[in-house]
Amino acid sequence: MTTDESETRRRSARSRTRRRFLTAAGTAGAVALAGCSAERTDGSDGGDGSGSDGTGDGTDTDDGDGEGDGGDDETPTLTVATYTSFIDAPSVSPGEWLKEEFESRVDAELEWATPDNEVNYYVERAASGAGIDADLYVGLTTEDLVRVDEELDGDLFAEAGEIEGRDAVKQGLRFDPFDRAVPYDTGYVSLVYDGTTMEAPETFDGLLDDEHAGALIAQNPGASSTGRAFLLHTINRFGDGGVASDGDGEAIEGEDGDPDYDYLDYWTDLQENDVRVLGSWDDAYAAWSEGEAPIVVSYSTDQVFADMEGQDLEKHQIRFLNDQAYANPEGMAVFADADEPDLAREFMSFMLEPDVQGEIAQRNVAFPATDGAELPSDYAELAKEPADPVTFTYDELQGSVDAWVEAWERQFAGN
Amino acid sequence: MTGTDTQRLTRLREGVESHALTALAVLTSAALVVAFYYPTATVLIEAVVVDGAVTLAVFADVLTDPFYFGELARLLSGESPAAVARSLASPDRRLGIVGFTAYQAVLSTIASVALGLPAAYLLARFEFPGRKTLRSLTIVPFVLPSIMVAVGFVATFGDNGTLNAALTAIGLPPVDLLFTLEAVVIAHAFYNAPLVARVTTAAWESVDASAVETARSLGAGPVRAFVDVVAPQVYPAVLTGAALTFVFTFGTFPIVLALGGFQLATVEVFIYRLVRDLSYAEAAALAIVELVISLGVLLAYLRYEARQSTNTRGARPLPRRPLVPTAPTLRELLPRAGLAAYAVVAGVIFLAPIASMILASVTGGDGALTLNHYRFLVERQQTGAAFQVRPWPAIRNSLVFATGATLLALPMGVVVAVLTTRRYRGRTLVDAAAMAPLAVSGIIVGLGLLRGLVFGVEIAGWRIAASGAVAVVVAHAVSGYPFVVRTVSPGLDGLDRSLVESARALGASRARVIRDVELPLVWPAVVAGAAFAFAISIGEFTSTVVLATGADAYTMPVAIERFIGRRLGPATAMGVVLLVVTGLSFVVIERLGGDHRGL
Repeated sequence: MTTDESETRRRSARSRTRRRFLTAAGTAGAVALAGCSAERTDGSDGGDGSGSDGTGDGTDTDDGDGEGDGGDDETPTLTVATYTSFIDAPSVSPGEWLKEEFESRVDAELEWATPDNEVNYYVERAASGAGIDADLYVGLTTEDLVRVDEELDGDLFAEAGEIEGRDAVKQGLRFDPFDRAVPYDTGYVSLVYDGTTMEAPETFDGLLDDEHAGALIAQNPGASSTGRAFLLHTINRFGDGGVASDGDGEAIEGEDGDPDYDYLDYWTDLQENDVRVLGSWDDAYAAWSEGEAPIVVSYSTDQVFADMEGQDLEKHQIRFLNDQAYANPEGMAVFADADEPDLAREFMSFMLEPDVQGEIAQRNVAFPATDGAELPSDYAELAKEPADPVTFTYDELQGSVDAWVEAWERQFAGN
Repeated sequence: MTGTDTQRLTRLREGVESHALTALAVLTSAALVVAFYYPTATVLIEAVVVDGAVTLAVFADVLTDPFYFGELARLLSGESPAAVARSLASPDRRLGIVGFTAYQAVLSTIASVALGLPAAYLLARFEFPGRKTLRSLTIVPFVLPSIMVAVGFVATFGDNGTLNAALTAIGLPPVDLLFTLEAVVIAHAFYNAPLVARVTTAAWESVDASAVETARSLGAGPVRAFVDVVAPQVYPAVLTGAALTFVFTFGTFPIVLALGGFQLATVEVFIYRLVRDLSYAEAAALAIVELVISLGVLLAYLRYEARQSTNTRGARPLPRRPLVPTAPTLRELLPRAGLAAYAVVAGVIFLAPIASMILASVTGGDGALTLNHYRFLVERQQTGAAFQVRPWPAIRNSLVFATGATLLALPMGVVVAVLTTRRYRGRTLVDAAAMAPLAVSGIIVGLGLLRGLVFGVEIAGWRIAASGAVAVVVAHAVSGYPFVVRTVSPGLDGLDRSLVESARALGASRARVIRDVELPLVWPAVVAGAAFAFAISIGEFTSTVVLATGADAYTMPVAIERFIGRRLGPATAMGVVLLVVTGLSFVVIERLGGDHRGL
């Protein structure tokens, strides 16, 4: 063990003690102080809350064995931050199963944290010097990473390092050039349409046909991930017309091969054909379910849910425009100042095990990130994969995605 | 107990009473600073401080951007006013996002007042069985989460909705209402007409009958008596409702995106997007623009309110008329016919969406009736994991937070109302400072609370942080107390000063006068304020999710949001629970309030 590692261990032991104190204070405080806490921040000594663990000046509170203080053999706690539907969706979500399974295999307690601002919450904490109170984040997208890196000077996440089973992750899904985020599943944003009333067009251009006027409901790309994915897909198809080029004139070329027609032109045509752009996926899907329009931007796994609820699959048809769909891989990464980095990496390898990959895919209703995940044979019948998944890389999104969305907003909402 | 002891005790009580007002004012200010001013300032400062240097560049960029300000931006960039005026008069003028936001807010305000006034007339002037309950329930729409309202509206006004079914049945062409400005305005009226109705009803009920009788005995006809005596006393309350409606609809966000679509995006939509993308400088600049406009409207109203010196003792309210006409004369029948027509409109706009929501909670995916969604709630309660949101704790927390917030907001609101009804220099400033929580973007307050209370403030090497129940209650009280101020202060202002002066001359402390003389006289307004404070707390979402960092401090709206999935069933079932719980609460509040009348 190198000095660096033992140093990390020691620090982590100390701050874990602190967190345990804060948890205790938090529980007691619900009665007395309602979660008021005070913590030393100057770091010159101790850092153990308000000295309630009795070690006085705290110059030597660590005990180096990384396992709590004073022979106190508590099981370590791994705090996993994620988005709420990962643990608390009304239909299915992998959270509960993962917690039980992980705890049965590893001598540790898993605690979920789901701050409302999701990963932005940790960016805020890091920027305000408030310290990160979780060990790893599950549910990172490429855009999240771009945003984090543009916003913070320091590192929010550490390099993944040694993660068992990582080689099995599909090449096309590895989205972090700096090797921090490890993909654990992926989803495809596509069209879902009611096959009992219409036949959806097969291409982007088909959506502009008169017969499909007012047929499509999409979401606001500024706030909804499905909305953003669909917007990015149109940029991939038609090019960005140099919107994000910083004046050097270099534009992203679209697959349509027409340099004079970009995504903003396409959206002008879509708007003329009466596309509806609502706020969130909830808004859009609810309106679509009520029959306000026959086509909605959603996920290619829609039939899994429909089947689960015994609905008519004909009403839940998937359409991949130009045989494509936008891929949104989700990744996990260890926080740079995690208290339990080793345990966090253990959790990451656990997430990549073939049986766990299968469970995540089914319970998060997505596709596994690894080759060789254990899935029921009929899963693929309901969860559809496009022939040609498209996605923008970290480098392509960096410095561009904000400009793309802003240009779209200014055009679409300008009045 | 010896005589000296009694004396000392009396002196102590007098001492406490004479300082009670000051102490409460200090506590109110402290709550405002901790839960509103400090957090909000930390975010707004980003608009003018970039990389450590003070600059107006971000602000100037926003102000001169035609996307936000339309033709007006050219004025700010230095173009001649005449040229700008010409463009504004032309048919293809650009309003910009800010201009459009104000435009829809004006339309929403007009619609809310138009829908709220007849309800106030009905509730204040007519007697019928269930009137009190109906009056209590008018506030219910106010607490409904936007997604529930959107569900109800799509089911009512959508292509396949109830309205179109009814229109088709009577041989009329269907209307295409959804995803238009009209849908947004109607939804805003759904939220805000009850507000207009409630403040107006409270004012109408405290009109003194003897003043009207005097006018009538002096020969004024009923119309003349209304115009000269009643209207001037009801008018300020209508404007209160209108001003609040404008402010709320100016800061609107989820309803616009759910029922209108992005082409109708408002300022708040962009604040949200910029905050989400961590572009705080521009978000803060936009929030300041929003704040200045909202606060400007509130201040204009407050100046108007200050000039009104309605003098009422509120001693004897006007007698109510029975809803069933006593004689079939035109004067008896006409207003009732009007109310009947209004009832139809109100039924479509208020009842149909709520009924649709209730229906959705008992309808399965195949359209058949089912209790599955409620079964989901029961199962989640019984078997949900500790880290998952369950129905009962959500109900309990909502009630506890709302009760706490109301108990805190009432003294805060009364103190501020007392302070703002006195005449002194800088009163407008106090008024504005006290009303600011209404006018600041909820997203900005939420972000500020996160950075302030949740992350903690560094003081002398210690980081002091607060979250959890008490923080939530304080934050809710801060957002709810302006309603107490706005319902109480007009009445307080209109009180006969001689009453206060004689009580003071007889030796009562200021606090005692408020407690024993003034409060009983404006009690209906205090109860109305309490109901608002309760409603604000129940419906509040942003600061709840920010401050309730523990897994056990979530409320009913949070639970509704969590239960939204592919099928809205579980969420609508939770929405019905919210309806029932809050409906009962409002009835209880007003019944309790009624019993205490004349304290």
